[in-house]
Amino acid sequence: MVEFRNVMKKYSNGTVALKGVNLRINKGEFVFIVGSSGSGKSTLMKMVLKEENPTEGDVYVNGYHVSSMDRRQVPYLRRSLGTVFQDFRLLPNKTVYENVAFAMQITEALPKEIRRQVPMSLALVGLSKKANVYPNQLSGGEQQRVAIARALVNNPALLIADEPTGNLDPENSWEIMKLLSEVNHRGTTVIIATHEKIIVDTMKKRVVAIDKGIIVRDQQKGLYGDEDKDCKIYN
Amino acid sequence: MKIRTAKYIIKEGILNTYRNKLMSIASVGIVAAALIIFGIFYLISINLSNYTKALSDMPEMEVYCDPNLKDDQVAKVAEGIWKNGNIKDAQKVTKEEAFEKLKKLLRQDEQQLMTDGDDLWKGYDESFMPVSFIIKLDDPDKSSDTAEQLEKIDGVEKVWYEQGVIGFISKVTYWVRVISLFLITILLIIALFIISNTIKLTVFARRKEINIMKYIGATDWFIRWPFIIEGIIIGLVGALFAFVFVSYLYNMAEVKINKDLIKISFNSIRFVRLSEIGVTVIGIYSIIGVAVGSIGSIFSIRKYLHV
Repeated sequence: MVEFRNVMKKYSNGTVALKGVNLRINKGEFVFIVGSSGSGKSTLMKMVLKEENPTEGDVYVNGYHVSSMDRRQVPYLRRSLGTVFQDFRLLPNKTVYENVAFAMQITEALPKEIRRQVPMSLALVGLSKKANVYPNQLSGGEQQRVAIARALVNNPALLIADEPTGNLDPENSWEIMKLLSEVNHRGTTVIIATHEKIIVDTMKKRVVAIDKGIIVRDQQKGLYGDEDKDCKIYN
Repeated sequence: MKIRTAKYIIKEGILNTYRNKLMSIASVGIVAAALIIFGIFYLISINLSNYTKALSDMPEMEVYCDPNLKDDQVAKVAEGIWKNGNIKDAQKVTKEEAFEKLKKLLRQDEQQLMTDGDDLWKGYDESFMPVSFIIKLDDPDKSSDTAEQLEKIDGVEKVWYEQGVIGFISKVTYWVRVISLFLITILLIIALFIISNTIKLTVFARRKEINIMKYIGATDWFIRWPFIIEGIIIGLVGALFAFVFVSYLYNMAEVKINKDLIKISFNSIRFVRLSEIGVTVIGIYSIIGVAVGSIGSIFSIRKYLHV
């Protein structure tokens, strides 16, 4: 599903963000990527979306060889995965329904398809009643659920979430995590980059910890872990 | 592209133009102004070339032979004239015809004074008149060169031509064209910048939206098209305004000037009718409008597509 092979990333300002990362995430997995700011976590997520290219090594996502992909192919890669961001990224002048429908419109989906898929997607995140409301009338948690509905409306095999709870209070954070976990149960591979120690520790899913550009830990049913301890063990 | 996508794109383009009213109006104004100035110069240049063409249909050069030439020598002169590359038509005027013409011309003037006009001509016959050729040229611009060449033919005494008018008009036409080309280039560049700036404002106002669209997998063209439509709308509306304004102006000028022109030129010269060139003008206008609008948009959106 997602594979990193010896991925190195050096930014033009000299910062080395990733120093040879090997990672394989299989279909149907639920993975937390954890690490402090500047650990290379964001770079890793960006590479999946081809926002950044590796300096060395290969990245494969959904059967696309992302690192050697033509710029014109990028939209098709992004359509094949759903993306959720910390800041929701909803279109403010479109209603909830329109926001979700828009993700299908850009793929030139049939109007009939759109009318069928969008309500289903909204029902999944529990926002059927708010279909005609604008994003600024919603709470943060609700906005993030709209974003998830949008990410899922094209039935992607993979869902990428970059700090999805970063702007939410603990209660809403839990709601979102539960929702993502449910999405995973329905067969979608989910990758979440996060800082939420409590959530990671409680959910006991696969945890990939990154520090200073290398994967320092990769364990099933893992914990967020103590970074100092990680450093001692692995460095 | 599917029809529903086209619908979406056009709708978005129109909405963008509307949301951005003030700048859209300003851009429309600039495009219209540029096209109006271009249109005025274009119409002047069209009329001048029309005028030059009308003049070239009139006898524009006459070649007078030595009156003492024999018939075979005259034939040689005719041959010499036809050898010149710039001759469209050459008509011979015999001594008799020339004499008759002269008599007629003088009689007209003297009718009131002379009761017995024929007396004047006693003792004269056509032998003192020269044989001449009335010549039409292929290229009136080269009339002075042609005249020089014709003068060198043996037996030619004098070449007369409308040196001043044709030369002057073709010079004016040339400069009008140069100036209008220069002006239109500058004005179009300005229009291009203004349109591109307007679109840049829309793009800037919607950069977040563009960014989101990129992330959920919209293709570059899907994002670009509404902005191009916005540019095209601005360009076309500007073109329409310019056309309405210029044709109104031109119609007024045509009515006024034609009256005088026809009087002066004995009906041989007139303003070109708008109906004859209107389609060309509106065609040129729309092409320029669409081109300026779309190129301006493509320029301004490029930067925001690299996400």
